[in-house]
Amino acid sequence: MEPDFDNLKSTDRLVSRRRSRWSAIRHIYFREMRDQIRDRRTLFTIAILPILLYPLLGSVMLQVAQFSREHPASICVIGRDHLGDVTPLFDGDHFADGLAEDEGAVELIHYDWGMIRSGEDAQSKATQWIDDGRFDLVLLVPPEFLDFSARKSQDEAKVRMFFDVTSDQSRVARDRAFVILNRWRNRWVRDDLVQTGLDESILNPFQLDEIDVAQQQSKAAAFWSKLLPFIMLVWAMTGAFYPAIDLVAGEKERGTLETLLCSPASRSEIVWGKLGAVATASMATAILNSGSMLITSSFIFSKISLGAGAAVGAPPILPMLWLLVALVPLSLLFSAVALAAAALARSSKEGQYYLMPLMMITLPLVLIPMLPGTELSAGTSLIPVTGMFLLVRSLVEGQFLFAALHVPMVLGVTSLCLWLAMNWARRQFEDEAVLFGSHEQFDLRKWVRRAWDGREKHASVPLAYFCGAMILVSLFFAKLSGGVMPTDANSFAVLLLKPQVFFILLPPFALALVFTRSFRDALRLRSVSWQHLALGLGLGIAFHPSYTLLGHLVSTLYPLSEQAIEAMKPVVDQINHLPWVTVLILIAVVPAFCEEIAFRGFIFGGLAPKQGHWRAVIATALLFGASHGVLQQSICATVMGVLLGWVAYRTGSVFPGILLHFANNAMTVSIQRFYSQSWRGADWFIESTADGVSYRPWWSVASVLIVMILIWLFQRLSVCGDESDLSPDDVAGERIERGIEEEYETPVNPAPTSTSG
Amino acid sequence: MRTTIDSMIDVNSLTKTYPDSNLGDFLAVDRVSFRVGPGEIFGLLGANGAGKTTVLRILSTVLAPTSGEAFIAGYNVSTHPEEVRRQIGFVSNNTAVYDRMTAAEMVEHFGLLHGMSKIEVRRRCDELFEQLRMEDFRNVLGAKLSTGMQQKVSIARALVHDPPVLIFDEATLGLDVLVARNLLGIIRDLKGAGKCLIFSTHIMSEVERLCDRIAIMHRGRILDLGTLGELRKRHNESDFEELFFSLLSRHEQNQGAETRNTVPLESQSSSGSSAERDADEGGTA
Repeated sequence: MEPDFDNLKSTDRLVSRRRSRWSAIRHIYFREMRDQIRDRRTLFTIAILPILLYPLLGSVMLQVAQFSREHPASICVIGRDHLGDVTPLFDGDHFADGLAEDEGAVELIHYDWGMIRSGEDAQSKATQWIDDGRFDLVLLVPPEFLDFSARKSQDEAKVRMFFDVTSDQSRVARDRAFVILNRWRNRWVRDDLVQTGLDESILNPFQLDEIDVAQQQSKAAAFWSKLLPFIMLVWAMTGAFYPAIDLVAGEKERGTLETLLCSPASRSEIVWGKLGAVATASMATAILNSGSMLITSSFIFSKISLGAGAAVGAPPILPMLWLLVALVPLSLLFSAVALAAAALARSSKEGQYYLMPLMMITLPLVLIPMLPGTELSAGTSLIPVTGMFLLVRSLVEGQFLFAALHVPMVLGVTSLCLWLAMNWARRQFEDEAVLFGSHEQFDLRKWVRRAWDGREKHASVPLAYFCGAMILVSLFFAKLSGGVMPTDANSFAVLLLKPQVFFILLPPFALALVFTRSFRDALRLRSVSWQHLALGLGLGIAFHPSYTLLGHLVSTLYPLSEQAIEAMKPVVDQINHLPWVTVLILIAVVPAFCEEIAFRGFIFGGLAPKQGHWRAVIATALLFGASHGVLQQSICATVMGVLLGWVAYRTGSVFPGILLHFANNAMTVSIQRFYSQSWRGADWFIESTADGVSYRPWWSVASVLIVMILIWLFQRLSVCGDESDLSPDDVAGERIERGIEEEYETPVNPAPTSTSG
Repeated sequence: MRTTIDSMIDVNSLTKTYPDSNLGDFLAVDRVSFRVGPGEIFGLLGANGAGKTTVLRILSTVLAPTSGEAFIAGYNVSTHPEEVRRQIGFVSNNTAVYDRMTAAEMVEHFGLLHGMSKIEVRRRCDELFEQLRMEDFRNVLGAKLSTGMQQKVSIARALVHDPPVLIFDEATLGLDVLVARNLLGIIRDLKGAGKCLIFSTHIMSEVERLCDRIAIMHRGRILDLGTLGELRKRHNESDFEELFFSLLSRHEQNQGAETRNTVPLESQSSSGSSAERDADEGGTA
């Protein structure tokens, strides 16, 4: 192509592209919206159903509530004639004045003792009546009650209340009877006191007044601010799913996607248009559902007042508008994720297969804020969706200053997730394999044969992930089946070693033997220079103060529960009682060896050549973190995993990582001992504080500097290993790596003297 | 690379491979090259699975080539896909019409996507609906249209922005004789209007009647290319169907001899079976 012609065309293109961008998105958006509105099923689920559903449910609830309120508790009294001349319980056919809260709420039937005593037992009669449902409660006053002295002490003289706890009506009757009988007893005591000439005021030595400072409105808000966001987000999810399936998988099925793809609209314009339509449907569903519920329930609560002390009241309408603030970004997030996942499907039916698991994964994020005691904090604000949910809840409750404090974090996390989800959706639409996925049949035999013939020196990407999943699943089941904490040292050692050897080391060993051509390369058991080993060990020791600090930070953000501390106590006790060398082997040597070979060996080795180093480092670190059962440990381990992964990449071997890992674990179990056995020079670095033995501040600061120096030295050493077998057009992360390599490799002549420090 | 006005479509050793989880990479298009000028109808003839659809999908920028280049009206399909799509109208049996849109709405929507103004689109729509004789079902929803009507809507959709290049991929597939004949008439009219047309099919009679130049494709390769007369002369065969099959079987023999020497056992056996299948399908067509 002649250069001037090319230039002309490219400027032409830029102008026209800028012009069409918004209008194309708009046209696609409106077309999709019209398409959804013309689909009667969509319209029904999104708009008609919620508008009708809640009022219908409400009217049913209202009727049920009225029914249960108007239904009086029927109480049968047997042996009224045994009461004698004590303080009266009854007045004619009713309870005595002032005993029952609401006369209408109790229906009283009397039976004289004599009327049933014709051959059968009063107690079994009472039981039978309750069983039959003839009465909700039977009150039995035995003949012995008449005897003044027996009444107080003898079992036979007890007044008996028969009821059935499994019946709601019976329980209500019991509560009411209980109140009545208590009042009767109090009145009786008062009468007795007055008769003996005492002042009745001794019954009330002090007065109590309950004052609830919460305003009725914020009390109602507290309830609704928990429930309504949940309802809204669940609907926002559901509202996004079906349109997403219809707009991508459905279009593939109907064959209209290719029509759209060969129109002048660019892929990103198509994604934006469709995303807008899905998000609109999601928001409309959420708003209509929660709005309809809000209006219906406020109507219901205005009809039936639950009294001033009730925790639930009519929902406050105005503060709920804050929910809209959360709805826009979260709807967009759900829509983008749903759109991207739906793009994988070739038909609507397949789309549902993909979206159900997605919903299962997202649902916990919405459920966490519903757990009692979950509040907005630095820790919870970092959890996607949950953070936004909690932020809006505190806005609804009127804690504006507190909410404002967390806005930057919630906003940051939400935008990051949104960016990732949108990128995923856009990439899906640029991927031919996703859009024109082949319809070939999966043939297991051919596949296995090809996997065998095509074995490489290292694991393939799916194999690496499979190994990670295998480790996680087996560790999970091992933990579930874990029995009691052993008390003797031997079985304790077995308890620590078994998961390491069988669940962490064995899978990569077996997979490397069967599915790779080189056991040594697959596990990256490559020899390295002594400088690398020394640097690994040094980095482990120098990084430990920072790692400890990180641990403290994490446990402040996400405090460990009492039970978790209690559960870990026997392990800590055992460790403290074992000899030092044994502890080092159990906690430092074996885990360092097993975990490094599994994660930085097999898994990293499988991911790095195909996925680029940074992605491999991050993925390995996440898997490594997940393999530590406790959340707090997992977060720290993930950070450590990034450092270990980076070292594995720089050195091309697992051995420096093993030393680093060993040094770190060894320091954790040793500093206590260094102090208590007063090693020479130890008190230079460590001191005893209220929380236990910790590093002196100067060493914590200095160690950070040393870590930086060691990392710098690592970069001066050239990259080793098989990292050269990358295809030139690999992912972006790898290009960054290239940059680092060039920067540090070209001017350097790795002199051994410069790296020994 | 020379790009002159006399070649609206310029395809240069275009190659496309698909990853296949069972067999490894599958070579769908193998170093295909050809040129088409304005006012010309170019036919791609081949059995099912010959790679015609893949070539046309690459030309319409829906797929990206693995290697090689293709230019449409001077724009590279890989680097300027949006511009290429402005220059083409693409009709294929894979490009369906929307179920929940009327014929007129469908055509208008794509006109608007091409950046035409509302008035422009309306005028062009009236023109096209009259030309293609589709006024009867102008306001009928896509789902209620017959296959022939849907195909007309697709053609109107492809013509709405009056593109210089038109790509028809198996456009007569599934149409009855009457509608197919009507469609071929439309294509001839378009040629008269100076459009550059590329037309893929597995029906020989269509190629014989319609195309100025023909490329015979088999298993991703162009076996021969030229006008009908040129092809007849070159292969010394006046019956076009005979010509097609002799070309195919000769290629199979050469290919077989080649593979016996170089290609490992597995791919040979699989390619043999697919060749039989392809030949069968060509025969029934």
